[in-house]
Amino acid sequence: MATNSPSVFLLMVNGQIEGAHFPEYDDLYCKYCFVYGHDWAPTSGLEEGISQITSKGRQSSHKLIWNFPLEITFKSTNPSGWPQIVVSVYGPDTFGNDVVRGYGATHIPFTPGQHTRTIPMFVPESTSRLQKFTSWLLGRRPEYTDPKVVAQGEGRDVTRVCSQGFVTLSFNIVTKDMRKLGYETMPSEPGNTLSHSASSGLTLDEQPFCT
Amino acid sequence: MAELHVIGQIVGASGFPQSSLFCKWGVHTGGAWRLLSGLKEGQTQVDLPQTGDMAYWSHPIDLHYSTKGLQGWPKLHLQVWHQDSFGRCQLYGYGYCHIPSSPGHHHVRCVTWRPLGSWQEQLAQIFVGGGPQLRTPDLIYSGADRYRLHTEAMGTVELELGIIMRHFDKYGVEY
Repeated sequence: MATNSPSVFLLMVNGQIEGAHFPEYDDLYCKYCFVYGHDWAPTSGLEEGISQITSKGRQSSHKLIWNFPLEITFKSTNPSGWPQIVVSVYGPDTFGNDVVRGYGATHIPFTPGQHTRTIPMFVPESTSRLQKFTSWLLGRRPEYTDPKVVAQGEGRDVTRVCSQGFVTLSFNIVTKDMRKLGYETMPSEPGNTLSHSASSGLTLDEQPFCT
Repeated sequence: MAELHVIGQIVGASGFPQSSLFCKWGVHTGGAWRLLSGLKEGQTQVDLPQTGDMAYWSHPIDLHYSTKGLQGWPKLHLQVWHQDSFGRCQLYGYGYCHIPSSPGHHHVRCVTWRPLGSWQEQLAQIFVGGGPQLRTPDLIYSGADRYRLHTEAMGTVELELGIIMRHFDKYGVEY
């Protein structure tokens, strides 16, 4: 058995990038990477990947399917900086240049079990009409030099984006030792409230609750 | 001390008169709460959705608080702004919601409102835009001086928030 007083917890992520819904575009591929805080480290699995090029199904509701596997395990001492997956989608424009069709990000779910997330995808917009026209003509749309900025909360106020599609991800989450470290990630079942005798330090209220 | 993690996203907003929107947000807590890491305020990108009326921001939130008491549980307050094609900004809505107080994943819908001016101001607003704004934005999350205001309904902001709590049970707190 593992030691009784662990100092790290593990987060195992198995999942897939199922596919996407982009009404305007076809022949797309995607890349993914993970963004996480200082206390986090991947212990196994691939941190980034690049999928095949997929075309819309002829019969099935114009969905783009990648069915692309995600398998990674992280360890950490602190939930702060919880990993996010950043997905970016690329495809050819009318002149055959490879351009970005969307960036998106979401936090990895933290409750054990199966989860599906549909994330909106957006591209940065040119700030002026002239730039917009020249970028269309030259096939060089604005892009982020590092897709990881979409997982950051700072410096977003200067960007204008255009959301134009969705990517669907599914996750199977297993965590280890989170509860042992005292982290509650799920609501406790009713009737299972284990109230230890309240030790001093935490003032509940100015007027204590009735008992 | 008990700890609270708030991890999630401001997903986007819908139901506003125009869909080219951005959002200024902040978290307000009582005095017993201390922010250990994370950003407690910010501004999202401006989204001009290609289809549909929902603007998507996907703005990440990752906050770590420690607390000595339950008073002043964190509140998230929002201001939704519209940016037109000339880059001019106009207030579209104020709203706030409490951070959920049970662990797990929560889908939160925050309703918004904006102040309504006199009929002359409303008439001017139709032609030149603009409109009244709150002089003290803390009115967004306090109920004290609200009775002076006349407001109208605006759209809804969608949030996905995950809550992780630590050591609350040690102090007998039930959630």
